[in-house]
Amino acid sequence: MKIIVCVKQVPENDSVKIDPKTNDMVRTGAQGVMNPFDRNAIETALELKEKNGGQVILLIMGPDSFTEVLRDGLAMGADSAYLLSSKEFGGADTLATAYTLVAGIKKIGKPDVILFGRQSEDADTGQVGPIVAEDLNIPQATFATKVETISATTLEVDRDLESSIQKVEIKLPAEITVRSEINFPRYETPINIVKSFDKPLTIWNEKDLNVDPDKIGKKGSQTIVTKVYAPKKETKQVKFLSKKAGDAAKTIINELDL
Amino acid sequence: MGNQEIWVYVEINNLMVEPTSFQLITKAKQIANGRKVVALIAEPKMSHLESDIKEYGPDEIRILRDERFRGANDEELADALFQVVKRNTPNAIIFPATVRGRSVAPRLQAKLQTGLTADCLDIYYDGDNLVQVKPTYGDGVMCNIICPDKRPQMVTVRPNIFEAKVDRTIKPKIQAAEFEFHEDARSEVEAEEPVDHTSTDLTNAKVIIALGRGAYSEKNVELARQLAEKLGGKVGVSRPLTDKPEFTHSDQIGQSGTTVSPDLLINLGISGAVQYTVGVEKAKKVISVNTNRDAPIFDLSDYGYVGDAGAFLEAMLGNLE
Repeated sequence: MKIIVCVKQVPENDSVKIDPKTNDMVRTGAQGVMNPFDRNAIETALELKEKNGGQVILLIMGPDSFTEVLRDGLAMGADSAYLLSSKEFGGADTLATAYTLVAGIKKIGKPDVILFGRQSEDADTGQVGPIVAEDLNIPQATFATKVETISATTLEVDRDLESSIQKVEIKLPAEITVRSEINFPRYETPINIVKSFDKPLTIWNEKDLNVDPDKIGKKGSQTIVTKVYAPKKETKQVKFLSKKAGDAAKTIINELDL
Repeated sequence: MGNQEIWVYVEINNLMVEPTSFQLITKAKQIANGRKVVALIAEPKMSHLESDIKEYGPDEIRILRDERFRGANDEELADALFQVVKRNTPNAIIFPATVRGRSVAPRLQAKLQTGLTADCLDIYYDGDNLVQVKPTYGDGVMCNIICPDKRPQMVTVRPNIFEAKVDRTIKPKIQAAEFEFHEDARSEVEAEEPVDHTSTDLTNAKVIIALGRGAYSEKNVELARQLAEKLGGKVGVSRPLTDKPEFTHSDQIGQSGTTVSPDLLINLGISGAVQYTVGVEKAKKVISVNTNRDAPIFDLSDYGYVGDAGAFLEAMLGNLE
């Protein structure tokens, strides 16, 4: 089973803020980390490989520094990794990102399964997986909480649709987006960290991928960010209660008629 | 470039209209400024949800009717919608940012090669452009996004941001949409079981006890659950606690979780990061408990208790008896 896991690097929590005076974006923690949801996707891939054999391939689009995130994934146990890196890819929205990833997937060679984390923690879109599936004309199972192997060509997936659980039988090749509840991602063991440096990591740019220059990066994006700003906060006048918990509770119960 | 219609995708969930769709019909009417609001629904033969949709007064209800929509997969649904959009390109299509909306909308977007902004907190028109407001990069950053050159403009909008309002002054025209159902056997829905989320359904809870990292202990979880039960409410958490064994992602309040609108919200050990507070802006009365008097959560609270969450919970339980 050939499995490609698409991952993303995100800024560390709280590391990006807006300067309330200038409205400029301020990045405090420079170091990015792997999108936490993507670890669940890698874990799913590794479990599928353990059951069915095959290989787990990581794919990411971004600057050269993103190789660090790929090393993390290789240390979890993935076999190889590809970074799609070029200035030309910059400023891509979901449509242009998916187009570029699809070009990478086609060059790697068509996989049986493509996995995504349910969404990225920074922009929180969760759209790229379904767009990739549509562009490759393959079926999808999003928001998966369980993935089971039925045969070499069929998986059974539980999808959590919030008010119902849907059981889907899906023929490969297919795209699956996993929820974080699906598993507990394994840790990187010291031995796997050492091994990760010997695993193949390939970097491709737009020329390697032979992509349409009008479909990548900012040019290939249909959406434009017109304004970035700090949200307005409506503040309330807080009434501080007695430090004595009992008195505080009584006040609330009385005033709110609980 | 497209006509002057705003389409709202009406989602069906367990044979009922998913309530976000009603909220989006109301919102679409508010921002329409002369544009026609069309509710679009793909339903099986015997389902007549248009009678529910009518109450909210869209200008038109367009129905894709086929028995196979019962248990249709994302590919079949996106294909059917694509045919209808291609016939009559609207100015904008609004989807609920539910699991289904988030799964079908991007497939349709890819077919149309247009822009789609996910998980918007607000939408409004600036001329012909639909301004799409969404949070990004976690803490404290909002952005406005437009799709200037392509139609339809597509968005998914977070549930419970807008209020659905009944409007019987408009008698919507009901029309059948032309399309052919193309079966796609590559993925088959084998079963769909409703899950009882009554323990965690935060979306419609009138009272919510929210726990954050600062108040987490096994005992406090138990006390919070007791208090929630006593007040007829639910327990929710901020993101860090979704890693704890007692909770899952469906218990999470905030940007990557659920947006809530309770009459009473009690925050315990939650400092007030924007990822959390964007999810509770609609709460009416807010009580917050935190050991740090300077915690930003107090700026959003009606009542503040500076001290231990466990002591506060015990006092509440004791005095409610």
